[in-house]
Amino acid sequence: MSDNHSVIGRSVPRIDGPEKVTGAAKYTGDLKFPNMLYGKILTSPHAHARILSIDTSEAERLPGVKAVITHKDVPTLKYGLSPARWDESIFCSDKVRFVGDKVAAVACLDEDTCYKALKLIKVEYEVLPAALDFLHAMDEGQPQVHEEYARNINTEIHQEFGDVEKALAEAHHVRTDTFVGQRTYQSPIEPHSAISMWDAEKLTIYSSTQSPHYFQHYIAREFDMPMGDVRIIKPYLGGGFGGKLEPTGLEFAGAVLAKLTGRPVRTFYDRAEMFAHNRGRHAQYMEITTGVDKNGKILAAKANFLMDGGAYTSLGIASAYYAGALLPLTYEFDNYQFDMFRVYTNLPACGAQRGHGAPQPKYAFESHLDNVAADLGIDPMDIRIINARRPNTVTPNDFRVNSCKIKECLERVRVMSDWDEKKKNLPLGRGIGVATGSFVTGAGYPIYRTDLPHAAAFIKVCEDGTAATLYTGSVDIGQGSDTVLCQMAAEAMGYRYEQMKIVAADTEITPLDFGAYASRQTYMSGAAVKQAGEEVKRQILEMASVMLGLPADDLECDDGQIFSKSRNVKSLSFEEVARKHFVLRGPLLGRGSYTPPKLGGSFKGAAVGTSPAYSFGAQVGEVAIDEETGEITVVGIWDVHDCGKVINPRLLHGQVHGALYMGMGEAVWEEVLFDDKGRIKNAELANYRLLTAVDMPPITSEVVDSYEPSGPWGVKEVGEGATNPTLGMFSNAIFDAMGVRVNSLPLSYEKVWRALKEKREREEIAKREDAQRGLAPQVPVPLETVPLESEEPVYANPS
Amino acid sequence: MAQAITDKDGVKRYLITLNVNGDAHTILVKGNAILTNVLRDQLDLTGTKKGCELGDCGSCTVLLDGKPVDSCLVLAVEADGRQITTIEGVMENGRLDAIQQSMINHAAVQCGYCTPGMVLSAKALLTRNPHPNEQEVREAISGNLCRCTGYVHIVEAVLATAQGRVTPDDH
Amino acid sequence: MYVPDFEYHAPNTVAEACAILAELGDRATVLAGGTDVLHKMKVGKLAPEHLVSLKNLDELREIREEPGRVVIGALASHNQIYTSQLLQRRYLSLPMAAHTMASNQICNLGTVGGNIVNGVPSADLPPILIALDASIRLTSAKGERTMPLEDFFWGSAQTRMEPGEILTEISIPDQQTTGSTYLKFGLRRSGALAVAAAAVSVQVSGDTLHAVRIVLASAAPTVLRVADAERSLIGRRIDDELLAEAGQFAAQASRPRDSIRGSAEYRKNLVGVLTKRALKKAIDEGHA
Repeated sequence: MSDNHSVIGRSVPRIDGPEKVTGAAKYTGDLKFPNMLYGKILTSPHAHARILSIDTSEAERLPGVKAVITHKDVPTLKYGLSPARWDESIFCSDKVRFVGDKVAAVACLDEDTCYKALKLIKVEYEVLPAALDFLHAMDEGQPQVHEEYARNINTEIHQEFGDVEKALAEAHHVRTDTFVGQRTYQSPIEPHSAISMWDAEKLTIYSSTQSPHYFQHYIAREFDMPMGDVRIIKPYLGGGFGGKLEPTGLEFAGAVLAKLTGRPVRTFYDRAEMFAHNRGRHAQYMEITTGVDKNGKILAAKANFLMDGGAYTSLGIASAYYAGALLPLTYEFDNYQFDMFRVYTNLPACGAQRGHGAPQPKYAFESHLDNVAADLGIDPMDIRIINARRPNTVTPNDFRVNSCKIKECLERVRVMSDWDEKKKNLPLGRGIGVATGSFVTGAGYPIYRTDLPHAAAFIKVCEDGTAATLYTGSVDIGQGSDTVLCQMAAEAMGYRYEQMKIVAADTEITPLDFGAYASRQTYMSGAAVKQAGEEVKRQILEMASVMLGLPADDLECDDGQIFSKSRNVKSLSFEEVARKHFVLRGPLLGRGSYTPPKLGGSFKGAAVGTSPAYSFGAQVGEVAIDEETGEITVVGIWDVHDCGKVINPRLLHGQVHGALYMGMGEAVWEEVLFDDKGRIKNAELANYRLLTAVDMPPITSEVVDSYEPSGPWGVKEVGEGATNPTLGMFSNAIFDAMGVRVNSLPLSYEKVWRALKEKREREEIAKREDAQRGLAPQVPVPLETVPLESEEPVYANPS
Repeated sequence: MAQAITDKDGVKRYLITLNVNGDAHTILVKGNAILTNVLRDQLDLTGTKKGCELGDCGSCTVLLDGKPVDSCLVLAVEADGRQITTIEGVMENGRLDAIQQSMINHAAVQCGYCTPGMVLSAKALLTRNPHPNEQEVREAISGNLCRCTGYVHIVEAVLATAQGRVTPDDH
Repeated sequence: MYVPDFEYHAPNTVAEACAILAELGDRATVLAGGTDVLHKMKVGKLAPEHLVSLKNLDELREIREEPGRVVIGALASHNQIYTSQLLQRRYLSLPMAAHTMASNQICNLGTVGGNIVNGVPSADLPPILIALDASIRLTSAKGERTMPLEDFFWGSAQTRMEPGEILTEISIPDQQTTGSTYLKFGLRRSGALAVAAAAVSVQVSGDTLHAVRIVLASAAPTVLRVADAERSLIGRRIDDELLAEAGQFAAQASRPRDSIRGSAEYRKNLVGVLTKRALKKAIDEGHA
């Protein structure tokens, strides 16, 4: 492989940088149209209640209110993101299933009037008992969230590969641990909004969406329209992290309000409503059993999980499968069993958050693996290296892994973090932990069943060749795909990045792309872009061949210059050749598309987790614990990733930093808390505790030299995979520092303090008993700690 | 106090002058109009973002008489007659400010939604303290939440600006 | 979000403000920095008919030295306190406490007066001000009165402020303290409310503790001075045992409740730890 690239591999500045630093970049909520109205959705104050009546008359009489709609005014077709379980309605008609469920909507002249009008809609409810505890949602006699799903079971998975029981029976050591992961929320800084407008029978929606294509598909389906009559335009997007992948209700309600009023309608969620809509990470109960040989080599693993789905499916079926599917990636073992129930509760629906399904199981598995290593007296780094997956292998659940440098990542992070020294010398209260992660580079199959390509791209070269525009349906949610794809286009064309423009994404102008989820765009959108760029280059070389009188295969185009590979003749500029092409042959266009190969096995659920390539990474973190308060100071974090060929190093490391930031928050600080009525207690950013700049430790991010043979120029994913090791890494660092294991996320200061206190108390007792018996002290047992629940009015600002 | 005008429905509006980025805008606002909304909806200065509307995220940061404040916690009437700098006023003579250029060059921008507030907080810091240390930079931007970057490149960009190196070595 | 409608007033003098408030009584809320009042109005916890803005009362922004005391105008912002050279020279613990409060943006808006009259037990400035024996001046159409800040709070969000009154100034008397400090425990390092906090001031000579004040935040329904603990420490030799005992006293006296930031048990523990550490710091300061 040649590393002789002009455009890729360089930290070029972001294509959208100037617009974003000057405030010129327009996000959906910044757009204004003549005659535009503002719309808001009325949501349920109850976790579970029957709707007895809705009276909108008073709201309709309020000056400035232009329309009020309820379930009677909208299509009744149920929708969702996972086709196997369409279970959401635009508005509830019979009952509401969580605090925040959608009941009605208004369109008004201004925002203030919307809030006032919502208060005037009178909804009479019969409050029903609610299923709020997912651990008991399947029990007899629990309230039924959906009548059609008995025992509140939304998804049930039972998979076995190899012979787990036999392997466990033959193992030198078998251990079981249980862990609990908390519900977290993506919390993009930009709130969701949508602007809907009609032109006769054609519907246009501007939306802060991660996938214009899925939006277009689902909205056309809901309103029984041809897809061609639905146009989705994605302006700049202020972060998504999985939370903006699916219809939010804003675009359905907005479309109906726009139709009724004949005016554009901007619908939006404020911060508390975003938390209520949610679709964040599922809370999860995770029991892990492994059997190892005397060297710590894993022989078999069993994962027995239970997931809190909330009131609707969202993308939760995939989340449930992902939770188990990605576990056998970083370590090699042949025998694997995965059992999962995803249950409905009367809480906001959970969905796909960065690292989809994988971070919490990884936390459980990585914590468990350290416990196993401690049992056997093996260094945590060594047990991971012993088990590290090798390239060109197949997982027990039939995922083909091509490039894989997890072992190199571990070896490098060991050196970078000064692991061996620290492991020996850190005092009590200081600790160091390691964990690994892996993630798909795009999903092998679409979310709904279709044979459409996963990505497509056009390139249009300007008539005089001084610019080229990339048209793509991919979505830059902040990760930098617009920049990276322009680099890839320029590289493939033999052009300059600085002359690239991009249009992304507008379903009427840009070709299909499934959008920003499952870490797919650099690889999949990139493959389509590369093909389009190569088509442009081929035409350029053919034209230049005519102009120079040399065979096309003797010509090369690089950095905007066309030259002969063998002869010393004057080179031509891309501009003059492109212009000549336009004059003689018409528009200079390139087209590309990408469809993944058939992937995966044939068992039930085999598709989820398939991917043409997998990223790998290892992280080490060092913490200092204040023994008296449990306060955790993060001393440093080191991350080494195998993410294939790097297109833009600065953007890539930015992805690692951001993934680490989210993982770090989830590890210790973030949690969505509910009261006993199913209401969120901390639906604002201060009390949800997004970390600030002063909370962040020094972060060192490196990559290992890697090339993925199936990807364009050898690329793989990075954006989500880097979230996966972090939770387990923190758990292990705290374990190393204090010798206590907190078995539930977040690993809060209080839980650490409590675990230490209980350890001291146990040791006191043991010491007293030993003094009587004359025995050595016992090894402390891991603890389960309980999340806090209580009532208090919350004021965000202390003044 | 600002002159008040009452309409036929009894709604009172106040005639105020906001000096935004050097331009004096004399406008009518209701008493409960929030500065963020007035800047965005009445003056079309949408670079000032709405993130949480409660002073938690800093997306709506503007400089009020040179000091960063959350404009979501300021009534427009309270800003009557005061000097306001929004992100649209940071460029001078069509040229990016050094902090803006540095943010671009260091890849300190991802989704960009926190960026206007971040630029203004950093700008205010560098104006009052041209040579901050890393802790001072972190404190100065701690009221600006960023969900994308872990602040790593942002802190780098601000420090580099103070040191006159808006272009990193790896460029 | 939106702010409910209200009638807006912006008097030009304290007297004018008092007259308006006297007329409106409890139908009016005073607006200072706005970080709390507007927050509460947005989340639906407050909907006054009238807002009386103090923005034109520039005389209340002053921080000045007078014979026998330092006077802080009630409208001084947290950042004004943080950056005041006078306060940094005289009572560094106060600017440092102001600095722990919130983000830069909030500290530029929020005022010391607002932080006090709000009356919440997690407020950062009252504990250190009480440790420094501060008193406050309340002004109304009826006249003026002063009281020790310590006496101002009597319950969660409950103060001795009467309708029609404005907090105009805070005054810190010259004193014999050799050191003071405010230690706050938050769940992140910026913009976090105190899970628990302790302010102390000490008067040390040699290795004897001659006087001490211990004031706790987020430890009871109101900011809490632990006078019993103070009395038991006075006149004693300073050693680790004394510090540990002080922590225990403070923890015992505290009455925190379970909250989303921590269980009562955890917060009680924090009170003890913070008191012990704050005392140590304040004592060491005096020795330095």
